[in-house]
Amino acid sequence: MEERRHTSSHYEMELQEIKDGLIYLGALTEKAIQTAMQSLTERNSDLAHRVIKDDDEIDKLDSELEERCIRILALRQPTAIDLRFITTAIKITGHLERIGDMAVNIAEKAIQLNEEPQLKSYIDLPRMANIVGEMIKNSLDALIRNDLELAEKVRQTEQIVDDFNEQIFRELLTFMMENSKSIHRALLIMQVSKNLERIADHAKGIADMVTYMVTGECVRHQTCTLNEKEKA
Amino acid sequence: MKRNLFLKILFSYLVIVSLSFFILDLLIKNEIKKVMTGKIEAELLTYAELLNLNSAQKMSDQLKQIARISSSRVTLVDAQGKVFADSEKDIAKMENHLNRPELQEAKLRGKGKSIRFSSSIGIDMLYVAITIKEGSEIKGYVRLARPLDDVQSMIEKVYQSIFLAMMIVTVIALVIALIFSYRLSAPIRAMERFTERLRQGHPVGTLLLETADETKKLADNINYLLDELQSQIRLANEEKSKLMTAFTSMTEGVLILNTEDKIEFVNQALSNILSEQYGDINGKTLMEAFRSVDLQKAFLEFKETRINVSREITLGNIEPVILNVSISAVQGHPEEEKTMIVFHDVTRLKKLEKIRIDFVANVTHEIRTPLTAIIGYLETIKAGAINNINETKKFIDIILKQAERLNRLVEDLLTISKIELNEIRFNFENVFLSDAVTNVISIVEKKATSKKITIENNMPEKLRPVRADRDRLTQILVNVLDNAVKFTPESGKVIIAADETDAHSVVSIIDTGIGVPKDEIQRLGERFYRVDKTRSRDLGGTGLGLSIVKHLMIAHGGRMEIESQFGRGTKVSLFFPLHKV
Repeated sequence: MEERRHTSSHYEMELQEIKDGLIYLGALTEKAIQTAMQSLTERNSDLAHRVIKDDDEIDKLDSELEERCIRILALRQPTAIDLRFITTAIKITGHLERIGDMAVNIAEKAIQLNEEPQLKSYIDLPRMANIVGEMIKNSLDALIRNDLELAEKVRQTEQIVDDFNEQIFRELLTFMMENSKSIHRALLIMQVSKNLERIADHAKGIADMVTYMVTGECVRHQTCTLNEKEKA
Repeated sequence: MKRNLFLKILFSYLVIVSLSFFILDLLIKNEIKKVMTGKIEAELLTYAELLNLNSAQKMSDQLKQIARISSSRVTLVDAQGKVFADSEKDIAKMENHLNRPELQEAKLRGKGKSIRFSSSIGIDMLYVAITIKEGSEIKGYVRLARPLDDVQSMIEKVYQSIFLAMMIVTVIALVIALIFSYRLSAPIRAMERFTERLRQGHPVGTLLLETADETKKLADNINYLLDELQSQIRLANEEKSKLMTAFTSMTEGVLILNTEDKIEFVNQALSNILSEQYGDINGKTLMEAFRSVDLQKAFLEFKETRINVSREITLGNIEPVILNVSISAVQGHPEEEKTMIVFHDVTRLKKLEKIRIDFVANVTHEIRTPLTAIIGYLETIKAGAINNINETKKFIDIILKQAERLNRLVEDLLTISKIELNEIRFNFENVFLSDAVTNVISIVEKKATSKKITIENNMPEKLRPVRADRDRLTQILVNVLDNAVKFTPESGKVIIAADETDAHSVVSIIDTGIGVPKDEIQRLGERFYRVDKTRSRDLGGTGLGLSIVKHLMIAHGGRMEIESQFGRGTKVSLFFPLHKV
C-alpha cells in the first residue's frame, strides 16, 4: 500500500512537471514575442538577436517535454483525462515551438526594418502583440485549470487579431500607393503582422485542444462538429 | 475494557478454585479409601478370628450366621486349597483357592488380604484370610470377603459436599470478581473518558480520582502531561501568532512552498504587490502562479544547489513590478524541506533612482547650456568683436540674458532645496484667494496680451480666506498661470475658476493649450521634467516651476492635481485647506 501511494504521488509529480514545463515554455515564447516587438518599436536590433539566440532554448525544451510525455505514455499507461492531457500536451508543445519560430521571424524582420528609416510609428502592432501574448497565456491557463470558458474566450479573441491584421494591411496599402519606395518596408511590417496573426491561430489551436481534453469533443474543424451531430 | 477486566479476574479466580479442588480431591480420595479399607479389614479380621475359635464342623454350621452378622461372604478352604464351605456359592462348582493372593499371604504370615475387582458382582472386593492352625500345622483357611461399595458411596457423599462447596465458592468468586473488576476499572474508565474528550478537543479541566492507588498516580501523570501539553500548545500558538503578525504586517511579500513545491502560504503584502492580478495562487506551483521565466530559473537554481538565491525579477508587462526575490529553505524535518520566497518591491526605489540620476544629468545640462552661450559670446568678443560696438552690445545683451537665466535657475534650485530642507520661513496670514488671483493676473497680463490670449477670471467673490504666505501664494499662482499662458497657442484662452468644499478651497486654472500625454501627467511635478524637451526650453522655463508649486502646496498643507487631455488643454487644480470655523 505504501509503495503504491508513493508511485501514484510520483506519477502526480510527473504530470505536474509537464504542466509546469508547458507554462514555462509558454512564458518563454511570450517573452520572445515581447522582446521581438520591443526590438521593433525601440529600434534595437540587439534585442532581436537575443530572441534568435534564445529560440534554441525553446526548441530544446520542446523536444524535452515531448520526450517526457512519451515516457509517461510508455511507463504509466495513463487513462481517461490523463491520457487526453498527455496527448494534448504533445501537440501543444508543437504549437508553442512554432510560436517560438514565428517570434524569430518577427525578430528577423525587425532587424531588417531597423536598418532603414522608420516608415511609421507602430501603434497597432504592439497592441496586437499584447493581445496575442494574452491569448497564449490564457490558452495555457485554460489547459492547467481545465477552464472551458477561458478556452472559449481565446477562440473569440482570435477574431480581434484577424481584424487588426486586416486593418494594418489596409493602412500599409495606402503607404505603398503613396510612395513606391516604402513598399519594401511596408511588406516587412505586413509580414510581422501576419506572423502575429498566425501566432494567434496557434493559440486558438491550443484552446481547441483544451476543449477536446476536457470534454473529449473535437471543435477544431467544422467537419468534426458535423460528425458529432450525425452521431448524436 | 470493563468486561475484559472482569473476565480476566473471574477466570483467574476460577483457576484458583478448581486447582484447589483438584488437589483436595487427590488428597482426600486416597485418604478416605485407605482409612475405610483399613477399618473394614480390621472388622473382617475380627470376624475371622472369632470364627476361627470354633472347630471346623462348627464353623461350617455357623458360616451363614457369621456371614449375615458380618455382612460378608465367608469361605472355608482346607490346606490344599479346596473349598469345603462357602456362605454364598455352591462349593462343588468352586475351583482351588490356594493360589489366591490373600491365601498365599496368610500362609506366610498367618493373615492376608487382597483387593480385587470381582467380575461376578462388578465392584471392588476386599478379601481377608487367616490360617486355621492346629499347633503349628496349617489345617486350612478362613476367608471373608466384602464388597467395597460402602467406600465408594462414602466417597461419593464427600464429593457431593465438595461439589456443593465448589458451586458456592464459584458464585462467590463471580460476585467478588464483578465487584472487584468494577472497582478496579472505575478509575480506568474515568481516565478513558477524560482522554477521549481530550482527544476530541473538548475543553477539559483536571482529572480527579477518588482512589489512592497506582491509578491515582497515573491520573496525576496524565494531569501533568496535560498541563505540559497545554503550555506547549500555548507557546506554539504564541510563536505562531507572532510569526503570522510579522508576516502579515511586514512590507515584504512572503510566500512559502510546501514539499511538493506548491504554494502553501502567501502573506498580505505579497497579495497587495500582486494586486489581485494573479488570482488565488494557493496550491499552485510557482510557474503556474507567476509565469515568470526568471523566477522559475532562480527557483530551479535554488533547488539544485540548496544555496540561498537572490535575484531581481520583473513581473507583468503593462504595469511592471520590479521585485527583489530571495529564495531560502525553511529548516524543518530533513525529509520535508519547505521553501520560503521573500519578495521585496523595489519598483519605487528603482524609479527614485532613475529620478535622481535624471536630476543630476538635468542640472548639469541646464547649467551648461547658458554657460556655453556665455563663454562662446565672451570668446567672440575677446577675439575682436570688441571693436565693433554694435555687435558687442548685441552680444552682451545675449550674455546678460543667459546669465539671468542661470541666475533664475540657481534661485529656483535654492527655493526647492530650501523648501525641502524646511529652511523657508512662512508668514501665514488670512488671504483672500480672489485678491491674490487679481494681483497675479496683472503680472502675466502683458505676456498674455502679446500672444492674444484672453484670461477669464471666474473667481467667485465670496470665498472664505485661506491661511497662506502672501508672497509664496503669489509665486504659486504666477508659476501655474505663467505655464498656462506659455503652453497655450496664440488666441487661446485661460480660465481661472474656484470652488469651495467643506475642507478645501480649490482654484482651477484651465487652459486650451497643448496638453500633456496621459502617462506623463504623474511625472509633471518632478524636477526638470519636461514633456516636450525641445520646446519648453525655448519658452524660457527652468523646468522647475511645477516642482516648486508642488512643494509649496505641500508646505501650505494642500496639494496640486493635474488633469489633461493631450492636444486639448490642461487643468491644474490647487487645493488649499480651509480651517474649520
